[in-house]
Amino acid sequence: MSYIDVLREAEDQVTPGASACQGCGGELILRTVLQIAGKNTILGVPPGCMAGAGSVGWNFNSGVRIPVTIPLLDNCASLFTGISQMYQRKGREDVNAVIVAGDGATADCGFQSLSGAAERNEKILYVCYDNEGYMNTGYQRSSTTTKGSRTSTTPLGSVINGKVQHQKYVPLILSMHGLEYCATASPSDMKDFVEKVQKGLAASKKGFAYLHVFSPCPTGWGYASDQCIAVARKAVKSNMFPLWEKDENGYKINKVIKDPMPIREFVQGISKFKKLTDEQIDSIQQMVDTRYAELERLAGKE
Amino acid sequence: MGVIKVLTGNYSASEGAALCRPDLIAAYPITPQSSVVEYLAGKVHNGVLDSNLVQVESEHSAMSVVEGAAYAGGRVFTATSAQGLALMYEPYFRMATLRLPMVMAIATREMTSPETIWSGQQDAMSVRDAGWIQMFCDDNQEITDMVIQAYKIAEDEGVLIPVNVCYDGFYSSHLTTGVDLPLQEEVDAFLPPVHFNHATLDPDHPISLDPMTPGNLLMKYRRSHLEAMKRVPEVVDRIDKEFGDKFGRYYGGMISEYRIEDAEIVIITVGGMTGAGMDAVDAARENGIKAGLVKLRFTRPFPAARVAKALEGKKAFAVIDRSVCFGWSCGPMYMETKASLADAADQYCHFSAIGGLGGADISTDMIYSTIQKLEDNKETKTELETQWYITE
Repeated sequence: MSYIDVLREAEDQVTPGASACQGCGGELILRTVLQIAGKNTILGVPPGCMAGAGSVGWNFNSGVRIPVTIPLLDNCASLFTGISQMYQRKGREDVNAVIVAGDGATADCGFQSLSGAAERNEKILYVCYDNEGYMNTGYQRSSTTTKGSRTSTTPLGSVINGKVQHQKYVPLILSMHGLEYCATASPSDMKDFVEKVQKGLAASKKGFAYLHVFSPCPTGWGYASDQCIAVARKAVKSNMFPLWEKDENGYKINKVIKDPMPIREFVQGISKFKKLTDEQIDSIQQMVDTRYAELERLAGKE
Repeated sequence: MGVIKVLTGNYSASEGAALCRPDLIAAYPITPQSSVVEYLAGKVHNGVLDSNLVQVESEHSAMSVVEGAAYAGGRVFTATSAQGLALMYEPYFRMATLRLPMVMAIATREMTSPETIWSGQQDAMSVRDAGWIQMFCDDNQEITDMVIQAYKIAEDEGVLIPVNVCYDGFYSSHLTTGVDLPLQEEVDAFLPPVHFNHATLDPDHPISLDPMTPGNLLMKYRRSHLEAMKRVPEVVDRIDKEFGDKFGRYYGGMISEYRIEDAEIVIITVGGMTGAGMDAVDAARENGIKAGLVKLRFTRPFPAARVAKALEGKKAFAVIDRSVCFGWSCGPMYMETKASLADAADQYCHFSAIGGLGGADISTDMIYSTIQKLEDNKETKTELETQWYITE
C-alpha cells in the first residue's frame, strides 16, 4: 500500500480542537505517527508543545483517542520502560508503547533516561519532534538549537549574537546505543517518514526504536505559517537535516542530495537566522559538511 | 511457621519483597542500599523469583520505571538511600499523588553536605511531606514483616498510598540477625494479588492520565489524599492484628510502647536507636527512675493521637531524632510530637535530643543522660534546650 493510501485509510487519533499553532510541524508529526500506530497504542507526550496543544487533555476532555499520559519532562523513556515491560509480562506484546517528545525532553533534560532505555533496548518507539528549542515556554534555546539562532535565552546582543554553540546531533548519538532501529525523518518527505514510522513500530516489538524528526516552528523561528513543508524541504536539500537510518544492515543515507543547497540559502527567510554573520553561516556550513561526511563514512560511502 | 535465616537488614527487605511476588523491580545501586537489589537480582537470575528486573541508569529512572509498571497495574518494588531518594523526588511525589500503591525500602543515610555515606534519617525525614506513608523499623525481623504488611496497607482500597519501609543504614542494613521468614504459601494467603485500576493505561479502556488539571479539582484530589491518610492508622492496626494472628508477631500498630504504664519519664525514638533506648530505660529503672519508651513506628501519617495518649499523665519526655529540622532548633519528630500535644505540651518538661548524624553512634549512655536530664527537671514543666549527642 502506498503511503498516501496508508494515511488516507488510517484513522486520525488526535481529537478535534488541538490548539497547536497554525502550520505547526510538531502537530503534523504527532498525527502522522498516531495514524500509523493506531488504536492499540499507549502514548506518552511530555511537557512541551504537543502536551500544551492539548494532546493529553484538559479537564475531562482527552486530546487523543488512545490512552495517553504526560510523563515528566525527564522520564519519558524510563516511565515507558515500566509500561512496556508490564505489557510484555501480561502477554500483550501487540500493544505499542509510543513516545512523542520534543527536543528538550529528548536531548537535554530527558537525555539520561532516553540513553538508559536505548541501551537496555526496551520495546518502545520514541519519536522526537525537533523544533530546536523550548517553543512551548517562549522559545528558549536547547542543545539542538542551530548555532547563531535568536532565541529568548540567546538574544541578538551587541556582544553575543545568538546561540554560541553548534547543535548536539542526537540521532547519531542514539544510533550508537545498540538499539533496534534509528532514523531521521522530515515532514517534507512523507513517504520516507511513513515508512520509517512503520519500520520503527515493527522494530519496537524487538527493542528500542528512535525517530528524530525535523519539526519547523513558524511561531518561534519566524516564517509564514504556510511555509512549514518548504522550510523542512530546504533543510533536507541543504543537508542541514540529512535523511538516514540505521537498522540491522547498518547505516544508510535514504536521500542523497546531488548538489546540496548552500546553508546561506537555507537560512533565508527564517527570522531566527536574520542577523547571522558571514562567519556564523560559514561555521554552520562547515559543521553540516563535516557531519554529512561522517554519515557517508558510516554508510560506507567515502 | 517459617524458616529461620541469618540475614542482614538489606537481605531482610529483599526476602520480604520477594515473598510479595513483585511484577517488576527497578533499582540503582547506592550505599548502603545496594545489597537489597543485588540479592533480588540473584533470585531473578537464578530463576527463584519471577519478576521483571530493570537495572536502570539512575534512581530517577528507578522510580519512573516502577511508576510506569504501576500505570499498567503491576506490583512493584524498589529501594534507595539519601542522594538516590533526593534524585527520585520528582517521580516519587507523583507516585503518591497518583495514589499508586507500592513499597520502597529506604536504608536511611545522612544527606550531603558535608560528603558522607553513613547513617542518619535526614533523607526519609526530608521527604515526609511528599504524600507517602513512612514507617521505621528497628530490627531485621520487623523489616521483613513490614515489607509484607506494607504492600497490604498500600493496596488497601481505602488507602491506595505507597509506603516507605525505612531502617537505619549500616546499623540495620548491614548487621545480621536471625529472621523467621514466612513461607510463600502463608504470604500468598495473607496478601492477595494486587488490583487497582484508577490510573491504568490500557488501549481497551483509553483514558488521559494526569491531564492539565485546574486548582479546584486538584484540591479535591489533595483532600481525598489527606482523608485516605486519616484512615491509615485503623488499617495499620487491622493489618498488625491480622499479621500477628497468622504469624505470631504483633508490633503495636502506629507506635510501640516499652515500660510506660507507670512511667514518669518517656523517651521517644525512631528506628534502630530503640534498642539502646530500651537498655537505657532498663538501667534507669534499676536506679529508681520511672522511665519508659515510645517508638514511633509510623511517621507518616504522624500517630498524633497515639503519642498524646501514651504521654497522658506523664511528667517529662524527650524525642530523639537522627536528623534535624532546619528552621526549628530541634529534630523533626520532636516538633511533630509537640504539635500533637498542642497546648498540653505546657504540662510537661520536654526537649529535643539530636544524635547519630553522619553515622555517629547513639549509645545507651547518651540516652541515659537524656533520661537523667528529664528526671532532674521533671517537675519544671518547661522546654529545655536541644541536647546534642556530640562527643568532644
